[in-house]
Amino acid sequence: MTAPARKICMLGDFGVGKTSLVARYMRNTFSDTYLTTVGVKVDSKEVDLGELGMLKLVVWDIAGRSVLDALNMSYLRGASGLLLVADGTREASLRTAIDLLLQSRSVLEDAEAVLIVNKLDLVERWEVGPSTLAGLRQTMPVIETSALSGDGVEQAFLELAKRLAR
Amino acid sequence: MSERHEMPTFSAGVEHHVAQFLFERAQPLLLQFDENWQLVNLHGDPARFGFDPDNADAAAHQLRDLFLGMPLDATIDLPFVHMPNGRSAHVHLLGGSEPGFQVLLLDAQGEHDRQQAQQQVGNEAALISGQKSKAIAQLRQIRSELERQRMRLAEANALKNALIATLSHDFRTPLTSIFGYLHLLDTQAPQSASVRHALRALRRNSNYLFTLAENLLEYARADTRSSMLEPVRVDLEYLVEDLEGMFQPLAADQGLEFTIGVELLDAKTPVLDELRLRQILVNLIANAVRYTKKGGVGVALRWQDGALSIEVRDSGIGIAEELHEQVFVAFNRVRQAAGSGAGLGLSIVKRLVTQMHGSIELQSRLGEGSCFHIVLPSLASVVAAPQGGTEETPALESSRIRSVLVVDDDPDICYLLDTWLSDLGFRVRIVGDAGAAVESALADPPDVLLVDVELPGLSGNTAVFRLRAKGYRGHIVTLSATPTEEARRVALNAGADQYLTKPINIEVLARAMQAATPRP
Repeated sequence: MTAPARKICMLGDFGVGKTSLVARYMRNTFSDTYLTTVGVKVDSKEVDLGELGMLKLVVWDIAGRSVLDALNMSYLRGASGLLLVADGTREASLRTAIDLLLQSRSVLEDAEAVLIVNKLDLVERWEVGPSTLAGLRQTMPVIETSALSGDGVEQAFLELAKRLAR
Repeated sequence: MSERHEMPTFSAGVEHHVAQFLFERAQPLLLQFDENWQLVNLHGDPARFGFDPDNADAAAHQLRDLFLGMPLDATIDLPFVHMPNGRSAHVHLLGGSEPGFQVLLLDAQGEHDRQQAQQQVGNEAALISGQKSKAIAQLRQIRSELERQRMRLAEANALKNALIATLSHDFRTPLTSIFGYLHLLDTQAPQSASVRHALRALRRNSNYLFTLAENLLEYARADTRSSMLEPVRVDLEYLVEDLEGMFQPLAADQGLEFTIGVELLDAKTPVLDELRLRQILVNLIANAVRYTKKGGVGVALRWQDGALSIEVRDSGIGIAEELHEQVFVAFNRVRQAAGSGAGLGLSIVKRLVTQMHGSIELQSRLGEGSCFHIVLPSLASVVAAPQGGTEETPALESSRIRSVLVVDDDPDICYLLDTWLSDLGFRVRIVGDAGAAVESALADPPDVLLVDVELPGLSGNTAVFRLRAKGYRGHIVTLSATPTEEARRVALNAGADQYLTKPINIEVLARAMQAATPRP
């Protein structure tokens, strides 16, 4: 039996680590060379959610932007979930992630969203404070990750997958 | 993409050329599917986009993921989609081709690479700019923290200087007692040789202690205030004897030969600041003895043509020529590296010499000993009226007994002043604070008021000011442990006629009292 498929989009400012998170989740690889993404890369992976069954995640790694233009909006069509990505060392990228979520609501009213705050390996340089994250947790799941070490990455994708499977 | 523009008309040849050009660049691949994503038809090269020409299902599967959740009867454009072989393509869904739909792929690798290069530069510049801003903010924070630390250090330094000055200042009052009582003992009953020896040792070591305290005070007031010169007639032979007594045993303990002598080639009595002269000599000789391990230390003083020439020569470790300037800097590393000492003494010597309008020269080579040569002009030509100091205590003559009101809270000092002033022929009254002084002086005005500045409660200066304000016209001599021009100015502004600094001796006191009560 074919697992049901759900499209999820990675949204966030440039350089926050969206492509690295996908590479870590899909292929368990990491490169510390920054290469900007143009357009979109689509990958898929089936996940076993136990009682919730199998789910195929079709992950769209979209070029980092601080605002959603018409082009980005076209990429969002058909998405069920959003992985909003911020860089803990750049507080502005957290604001961008929240802005992108609000903008996406015009085309994706009911999409599930999980916030990833990446670069946990550089936590001593984080500008994002724990109290800020505690506040955000009141409204959506927030998961700290490191694409470099892999910490939290699987958990973040699974969290969104579970919400999509329910 | 949904907007339609009016296409200009070209000749068939041009249109053919353009079509061929675009076709070659885009390398289009058209895939036609039925409504169940079964491949019906195919035009173009699927391998160019990473699809297996022999496995149409795989291509269908991948493209199906791309249009997941989208309506298949619409026209959808997805620019720059990453293909299975890594190339970038513009993917267009062309719905409405009943009963299925078509997917058109156009190669976009060249355009992708150009955009990527451009965006990469822009994004990296933005990231670096962000890091730069953060680094600048951190530097600002560090600078502001450093500034705060600098202010804390400056405050701590001021406190330290104040502490040193206070300690040194506090030494002066007990030393006044010690010197005074030594003088009393000297002038009283005939003494045996051993008692005279003991008294001499006490005087010598008290002097040494006083010099040490003065060094500290000099250091503390280094920055701004110049200290006050106190010119007196100096008995150089007596001074030399004192220094010999102080350093001869120390040099002998180290197996060094110690010689000190004075030549008096000018008939006039030298007028110098004896305290500072003593400080200069003690510092220089102590240094010479400390840094000489074998050989000897020689000190030669010569009073000639109104100037005192001092030479302190040793056969010690010497100082390299390139370090000659540094040795006069406080806490220099030259002396510290040589062993003991904080390198304070020579900096004080230089300052004292400068204060006394003199000059200092150093001749030395590493390993060949050192020779400091100092010339101090007589202060008689610099300061018009020496404060006091004669070979003999002047006798005060008067047609009537003059009265003195002594205001001091230290009973030892009061007793000493009472003894001295009585010896000088004064009728003495003593009170311990400023309030009592004002009351007593107004009730029975004394000829002379001798008041200590540092009193409990109201200061001596306040008492002086109040008395002058209430019309007291007698002579006022202020006594203080603070030897600064500023303290002197404050006391004189308050209404004092003379300002004496502790420790005082009977000669200085006698001269002051003589000035206070001139003969009729």
